[in-house]
Amino acid sequence: MILGTSTVAGVLGAILGLGGGILLVPLLTLFFGVSLPYAMGASVLSVIATSCGAAAGHLSSGLANIRLGLFLALFTVTGALAGANLVGVMPARALQTLFGLALAYSAFVTIRQLHVEVVDSLVADPLAQRFGLDGVYGDRVLGRDVAYHAVHVRAGAAVMFGAGLLSGLLGIGSGAFKVLAMDTVMRLPMKVSTATSNFMIGLTAAASAGVYFGRGDIHPVIATPVALGVLVGSFVGTRVIGRLSNTTVRKLFLPIVLYLALSMLLHGLGVLR
Amino acid sequence: MTPERAVSRVLFLGGFLAVALMIGGLAALELRALRTAHPLDIAHVVENREAGRSVDVFVSVPQLARALARWPPSPLAVIVVGIVVLLATPAVGVVAALIAFAREHDRRYVVICVALLVGLVTGFFLNVGG
Repeated sequence: MILGTSTVAGVLGAILGLGGGILLVPLLTLFFGVSLPYAMGASVLSVIATSCGAAAGHLSSGLANIRLGLFLALFTVTGALAGANLVGVMPARALQTLFGLALAYSAFVTIRQLHVEVVDSLVADPLAQRFGLDGVYGDRVLGRDVAYHAVHVRAGAAVMFGAGLLSGLLGIGSGAFKVLAMDTVMRLPMKVSTATSNFMIGLTAAASAGVYFGRGDIHPVIATPVALGVLVGSFVGTRVIGRLSNTTVRKLFLPIVLYLALSMLLHGLGVLR
Repeated sequence: MTPERAVSRVLFLGGFLAVALMIGGLAALELRALRTAHPLDIAHVVENREAGRSVDVFVSVPQLARALARWPPSPLAVIVVGIVVLLATPAVGVVAALIAFAREHDRRYVVICVALLVGLVTGFFLNVGG
């Protein structure tokens, strides 16, 4: 059962650029009776497994942009390091409310551009050109190569830093924020955003993985079927995403953004604990 | 080799090796469970019980090395080696990217890769959420 569920999480993770924790932690704790620390340990491993399985395929197919991923991961990891140092100093709930509102706005923008397949005629950001963040990918659905430019690089980097800050403060994943920063702020094609996010999530999860291991939270009997399922699922997901349009991926992503926005706002306002 | 190809290869091989070790360890654990009522290593069980941990977990590389040094090696330890390989793969991917960018004389991304590696090592010690 855990293997099957993890495979589904891996497929979705590879398509949506998420680590699968949003799906796996509630499932493991509520339906399989796994204690929260072991579920979190399995989730961290699943993020890395998704990243390895999906990013390997996305990088070789050209869908994931390695320069963009490394450049933005620098801000996420820096934000996460700052967040970890600011636990107890920075008002986490105020930050959650702020990010909840930002996510709600992103959901609104996502709904508005739900049917936009590829954004054309964007003026390239000089910073994107300097760091080689622009790229081209072969779109099987459109049947042509799609050239894209990254815009608002500073704003995108700031969102990445904020997402990292929240990760460090709350110990939560930030795959959805990464995708939104690239899709909504930097106006990159949705599939490039999710594929590049898949590469990035492995890097941020790796920073915390050693600590989970040292605490004994990665239980081999629980984490192994999760990792195996997610790896297999993410390999399948990389095959599936090529057959999907950017608008389909965005439609699949929208419920996740709405759920996260609501959850963050309710936690930030103290309605949920 | 391009940085994309180098990292893709590392991620694929890391994932493949991790899967092979985990499946091999699981199969060995099942076989041992068929032969004996106590498939886990007694010394490991005692060590973890004394530390108040679950008997199945490994929490350090020396603990893992001790379990692997015995013959036959603990199947659980083989599974955990697979887990450790998976955990280390993204960082190895950054090292591969660093080498590939250095070969392309792309100093800007060499610096970014070094900074990321420093961040990953620092994060390891600071319990940074992912």
